[in-house]
Amino acid sequence: MLETKRALIGLLSVMMLLVAACTSTEGESETTAPATGETVTTGNGGSESTGSMLETVLENDMIRCGTRDALPGFAVLQDDGSHVGFDSDFCRVIAAAVLGDAEKVEHVDLETADRFTALQSGQIDVLVRNTTWTASRDGGEGATFLTVTYYDGQAMMVAADSPYQSVSDMAGSVVCVTKGTTTEGNAAGESARLGLDWEVRPFDDTDLLQEAFLAGQCDGWSSDSSQLVGLRSAYPDGADALRILPEVFSKEPLAPAVLDGDTEWAQVVNWAIMATIQAEEFGITQANVDEMLNSEDTRIRSFLGAEYTDSDGNVTVTDPGLGLPTDFAYQVVKQVGNYGEIFERHLAPLGLERGVNALWVDGGLLYVPPYR
Amino acid sequence: MTTTAGPSARIPFYRDVRVLKWVFQVGVFAVVAAVLYWLWGNYRVNTESSGIPTSFDFLGQPTNFDIPGADFSPQERVQNAYVIGLLNTIRVSVVGIVLATILGILIGIGRLSSNWVVSKLSTVYVEMVRNLPLLVILTFVVLGLVLQAFPRIEDAWTPFGWLVFSNRGMGLPWYQEVSGLSLLVLFAFGIGGWWALARWRHAVSDRTGAPARSGLYGGTFLVISVVTGWLVLGGRIDLPTVDGPRVTGGIGVDPSFFAVLVALVVYTASHIAEIVRGSIQAIPKGQGEAASALALSGFQRMWNVILPQAMRIAIPPLGNQYLNLIKNSSLAAGFAYFDITNVTQITVGNGSPAVPAFTLALMFYVALSLITSVFVNIANRRFKLVER
Repeated sequence: MLETKRALIGLLSVMMLLVAACTSTEGESETTAPATGETVTTGNGGSESTGSMLETVLENDMIRCGTRDALPGFAVLQDDGSHVGFDSDFCRVIAAAVLGDAEKVEHVDLETADRFTALQSGQIDVLVRNTTWTASRDGGEGATFLTVTYYDGQAMMVAADSPYQSVSDMAGSVVCVTKGTTTEGNAAGESARLGLDWEVRPFDDTDLLQEAFLAGQCDGWSSDSSQLVGLRSAYPDGADALRILPEVFSKEPLAPAVLDGDTEWAQVVNWAIMATIQAEEFGITQANVDEMLNSEDTRIRSFLGAEYTDSDGNVTVTDPGLGLPTDFAYQVVKQVGNYGEIFERHLAPLGLERGVNALWVDGGLLYVPPYR
Repeated sequence: MTTTAGPSARIPFYRDVRVLKWVFQVGVFAVVAAVLYWLWGNYRVNTESSGIPTSFDFLGQPTNFDIPGADFSPQERVQNAYVIGLLNTIRVSVVGIVLATILGILIGIGRLSSNWVVSKLSTVYVEMVRNLPLLVILTFVVLGLVLQAFPRIEDAWTPFGWLVFSNRGMGLPWYQEVSGLSLLVLFAFGIGGWWALARWRHAVSDRTGAPARSGLYGGTFLVISVVTGWLVLGGRIDLPTVDGPRVTGGIGVDPSFFAVLVALVVYTASHIAEIVRGSIQAIPKGQGEAASALALSGFQRMWNVILPQAMRIAIPPLGNQYLNLIKNSSLAAGFAYFDITNVTQITVGNGSPAVPAFTLALMFYVALSLITSVFVNIANRRFKLVER
């Protein structure tokens, strides 16, 4: 008797499961929980607010930011568990803009080869991990790249006592790179272009690569020049044991990325990033941002979310309808700083100069749409 | 008194064991199918909404990466990289299986040796290595042995000018191709001679009772005919040399291949040694005693009496170790060896969709394992006791 009851209950639950499975997969317009248990919207724009990543983030009151643990200048995991660096600060910028608190960030350390999978599976909300924006990543990895935070290019580092003076001296040599990066392809392409017949060896992580380089397994160490500067500064034999060759042989625009198919979230992250650049252009710094709230310039007051009087004489606060709080730019600058300050804090100490990463008014490439 | 359960009383279907048996089977199947269908549906919806391709079109795209040690350019298609990856996995697995088997049998016999030093050393080896994770062994081999203990390329070690050792690669002498066809003809000639010699030796053996030794005669003929023929045709041995930053000539052994091979062999041999020891101990003592009574030497006793019977017991568990070795070779991906896993990871990092790419890798491993199982089963059938 007991057994038949069990059988019946079992049968019933199976049928219920079947029915549930059928309805949830046939109704594709619904939001379906993927295997990871995260909500991913099937909607196609900011107009549809249900199930957006923005809502998830607001609900969690925390931004999960894909980053790394050991790239000097960009993101370094400290002994106390915090992350310090240029990329880590941009994670904070997003948190300050969206949640009003720069510390509401969960930094998720990712291996280079896993970063897009983490983004696709919903393990992270945004990827800020010195990632190069390329067409095939845009198309193939389901990533939407946003405003470039750093315009980089690939270069070559060699031992200081090696005979190499330029990349074209390095015929037949062994060039080591990190795996799963655009670096591999660039090095192979450069070798083919110059007819140098390099042996390009990809390593899983920079620690292993450094061991190999120290042991003399590699002639050259190729990576984005900003990374090389950082790695050189942390080299065990001292920075003077290494030399960076003058050539830069690729375009590496490093940009944050979010998952395709959620325009609202993409816009939110984009404007949070762009606010740092706009703030520098307006001359708003962490120190003077409170004074700037009372600035004579209505553009600045509008940008910071302060009240101002518009042309019709109405006292108003600008809300462009991005889904961000009106004072997001104030929070970003107050808690983290403008682009120049972030750069000075993390990249300048490594010896990196602004170069093409200067504001457009200074002859650089940083140019953001106006905030109005 | 009437009996309550007359033959005419029908059992309701929900108490009928015959029906319930089927209901359970169908139920289990339905649950599994439903869960898979649900996961599949989610995958489809999620990939579609984020615009991730799910087809295998990426195989026709250029790889954009280079494969050291292979004749490969970044413009070649992803599918060609997969082929090289598969070949590399097979290469390290085949060489690894052969070496691990030899080392494992030696150590397994060593553990039972009456020589105290040999038996203790074998025990220490097995107990040390068997209790270490393979990844730790591999990392140790890469960082400690290959990178640090091997000389840098500038002061590479070249014994007799025949070999090259450096942490950028090793070089072994290799034959120089004369012409693919002529070598093939030489081999065909050698094997034909082997066959003829074997027939002759068996005839002699049948007539006189002397040992046939057809393998010895035939093998010697094959080696001599191929080598002399090749030398006559102008074949030379290609010696490895250090050419600036790299080892050229001969046959190059990639340092990462070497590291992976050493780690796999050392690790798997410790398991094989235990299988061999157990199999030998499973042979009745009387077999060894009988062999001694026939005045067979220690080697003859082991080689002709004990091992043939022990291998019969050892083959199925050995097969498992071979499968493990093949699958463990995927750890190579972390150490710059271009096996199938590494190729998949790199191509995914360069823009190929992850799920189809790894599905392909998964299928390769399943196919490799199944093929290995077939070979192990054939060997098992050949060595099985034939009962009449």
